[in-house]
Amino acid sequence: MSKRLIHVGVVFLALYGLLFFRLEWIQIFSAEKLQNHTDNTRQVTMAFDQPRGEIRTADGEVIAQTVAVSGSRERLRQYPYGSMYSHLTGFISAVNGGSGIERNFNNFLSGSDLSVRIQDNRDFFIDRARTGQVELSIRHDVQLVTRAAMAGQNGAAVIIEPSSGAVLGMWSAPNFDPNYLSSHDLAAAAADFITLRSSTDQPLQNRAEFLTHELGPLFTLVTATAAIEADLLATEAKHELSEGSNTKATSETAISSCIQTLSILLTKQCTNQWKALGEQIGQSDLSSVAKRFGLTDVDPLRLEGSPIGNLSRGALDSSPAAAAIGENFAASPLQVAHLFATIANNGTRMQPQVVRRILAHNGDSIKEFAPKALEQSVSKETAAILMDALAEKTRQDSWPNLQENGPSIAGLTASRLATGDHIWSAAIAPVTQPEVVVVVLLEGDDQFNRDTADATISAITGRIIEAVLRLPSSNVGSS
Amino acid sequence: MHKQRVIELTLLLLAIAITSATAAIAALDDQSEIGWIALPYIAGLALLWFASHLALRRRMPTANGLLLPVAALLQGLGFAFVLRIDSGATTKHLIWSAIATGAFLSVVIGVRSLKVVRRAGKLLGILGAIAVLLPPIFHTSTSYFIPSGFRIQSVYVDLQKIGIFCLIIFFADWLASYRLRNTAEHFGEVDRIEGDPSRFAPLIGGWLIASFLLIFNFDTGSAFIVCSVFLAMWWVAVGRAVDLLGYLIAVALSTLVAVTTVPEMHTRFQTWLNPGANPEWGDSITRSSFALAGGGLTGTGPGGGSGNWVPDVVDNLIFVPLAEELGFIGGTAILSTFVLLLGVGFRLANGASNEFDSIVTIGMTIFLASQTWSSIAVALQLLPPAGHSLPFISLNGAALVVGYTGLALLLKISEGIPFVPDKTQLLPQIRLSNRSPS
Repeated sequence: MSKRLIHVGVVFLALYGLLFFRLEWIQIFSAEKLQNHTDNTRQVTMAFDQPRGEIRTADGEVIAQTVAVSGSRERLRQYPYGSMYSHLTGFISAVNGGSGIERNFNNFLSGSDLSVRIQDNRDFFIDRARTGQVELSIRHDVQLVTRAAMAGQNGAAVIIEPSSGAVLGMWSAPNFDPNYLSSHDLAAAAADFITLRSSTDQPLQNRAEFLTHELGPLFTLVTATAAIEADLLATEAKHELSEGSNTKATSETAISSCIQTLSILLTKQCTNQWKALGEQIGQSDLSSVAKRFGLTDVDPLRLEGSPIGNLSRGALDSSPAAAAIGENFAASPLQVAHLFATIANNGTRMQPQVVRRILAHNGDSIKEFAPKALEQSVSKETAAILMDALAEKTRQDSWPNLQENGPSIAGLTASRLATGDHIWSAAIAPVTQPEVVVVVLLEGDDQFNRDTADATISAITGRIIEAVLRLPSSNVGSS
Repeated sequence: MHKQRVIELTLLLLAIAITSATAAIAALDDQSEIGWIALPYIAGLALLWFASHLALRRRMPTANGLLLPVAALLQGLGFAFVLRIDSGATTKHLIWSAIATGAFLSVVIGVRSLKVVRRAGKLLGILGAIAVLLPPIFHTSTSYFIPSGFRIQSVYVDLQKIGIFCLIIFFADWLASYRLRNTAEHFGEVDRIEGDPSRFAPLIGGWLIASFLLIFNFDTGSAFIVCSVFLAMWWVAVGRAVDLLGYLIAVALSTLVAVTTVPEMHTRFQTWLNPGANPEWGDSITRSSFALAGGGLTGTGPGGGSGNWVPDVVDNLIFVPLAEELGFIGGTAILSTFVLLLGVGFRLANGASNEFDSIVTIGMTIFLASQTWSSIAVALQLLPPAGHSLPFISLNGAALVVGYTGLALLLKISEGIPFVPDKTQLLPQIRLSNRSPS
């Protein structure tokens, strides 16, 4: 009997050994991976009713703050502008963790980051609540203009300053009011969260950053870049011109005919020409250019400091002809804005940033997020050709709502897409000295009259550009 | 005072010290709402432990001195955590602790000898079978974390665990009689019954219960507990390798059938393998992992953990805050404490004065050990999600009562085992006797 007892004992020791090993696996070996997991809201939940810094816009509006309240919990997180900044600030909740800046910059806001905790020498010895204030590159006036222009529409808008990559405005609709989720009434907050999460139009989703849509004609910019680099347009030009109206002689250099052809191509959006071009360029060159623009990066394009959130990687269609016109290729509005900003910035790709700096309790800057150049995606010459072509196309299209003496715009719209019910519009202004890139995505294309869809979206885009350029502090972002 | 009682008293004092220290560290954390109000509760627990200690002193002075302090330490640790995570539950915890101690005392004082228990074996067998089989028929369970049974206020009384407890006694009685007859056959005292099929009876019974739990209760943890308890008792008493193999294959087949044909079971397995895909059910698994990972090697310290963020953290997943706040080191220490309990049980089973005692001891020991294992295994994603309280630690009064009753039975059995001092303790005596003749 004792021998059999030993058998049972050995089996159970082995089972307990399994527990030891598994515990070690979770707590030691894979701890770091689990801590950085996208679904891990532990840290931000724990910081829920702790002292917490403010989130401010570049022009000084407080968009998230913690106030003292009476009750079992001493502090309440408030968002003075409600749903206006919902996807930027995100929310912080006692039951559902958090999102947006509240989550990604939790270390700074809650003061658990060492640079925030130890603000002067005395902090080594005194344990006091130190928090950091997060200052965004977002401007309140730009955000107001965007909200007004996007009123009543589902979709997203991104406004970027091309020279620095700073995001000046970011809008996504439908959205939510984070004040409800941060409520101390935990049952109501949990119920609200479940309603939002299960809602079919996904108000919790930040469309500007994390939702991708098929690009369609917008992708032709990438194809055009590849064509210019491969020096293919000269021959195409002859082909095109012989087919089209024979009004102009081709006496100019190869480059200048490129411009002309390109603008014609963009204007007519002649699918077959693009497909033929795509065949000539080939799959590998197309994807290499797309990668240089940050569209098909191994690590998807992200805002500086936002490692959390799910964004699927873009993948080119397997046939180069379909790929050339962006069929089945999806990207987020931020990525599109990034693409246009790169062209506007002479081909230099800047890291998009939404946070400018972290401030200490006395207003000193603890950490600056300086503009960061990622790479020279395309040569200056290529970028200039693309700019000219876009400007030319915009002139021919005569975007509505552009006044005679208004800013010059280089833009592109994409409607009548094969899949999905959405339309795109992206524009750079002014053409000579680009100050702003605006990308607008509208969902629910089927509700529009197909003919007026282009007019609607370019009107919205034009309105935002005009307003942003006229704002008194339009140079704030470039400091 | 007998040496075992001295050991017991010393270790009980240590358990009180550790409980108070853990509660105090949690109270020092500036966010916690606990303060001096914790004191009367800890004093109440200490009082209950001393009552148990005094009863043992009077009734069974020679019983093993390790069992009670180990249980007390685990209970105290659990209390120190419940105090902080769900401070409203402390009074309830204390009341259930008092009931558990009552059950403990009634076994210690009321049961003169295990023969009485054995005589009730058949009755307990019937009651146990009803308790195990009844709950799934009425579908009393609404969430996978709630064990099948009924609830008294917020405490879920896991009928099936009580049923298994009763079945252990019945089965030990059966196995002891079976062994007795086999021995008699062996010595030619009774006629041999050729081709006796009765050796298959426990196997088939155990398999039926396990399959029932898998298919109708969707609970791999309960099936694991039943299988390990019955296999351990059966193997120690009469087990044959071929039968064991057949049994294991049959259980594996039942599991396969349950996973592929029962939708509820299928969902549980899916959630277990990919918790992210099913946030409603998978949250408890993913959050457990995140909380444990947050603890790391040394833990966040008592009071520094994420507490209620992990669902059902004071009962079924109580191992998570323990290992999160005490770290891998603390989690290992708790696991070791349970291994110690297991070891003591095995030592008692080895030294028990008769076969019935020995088999009951192994059954009770494995009962506690497998409950512990499945509760922690669910938290560590080694088993599909199911609700199992951690013996002695969880805020689940019913589980505490069952645990303490089992503990009292183990103590009762240990009473008859002669106290053999370790060889190391003999060494100085030899040296002394060498010196003395001069």
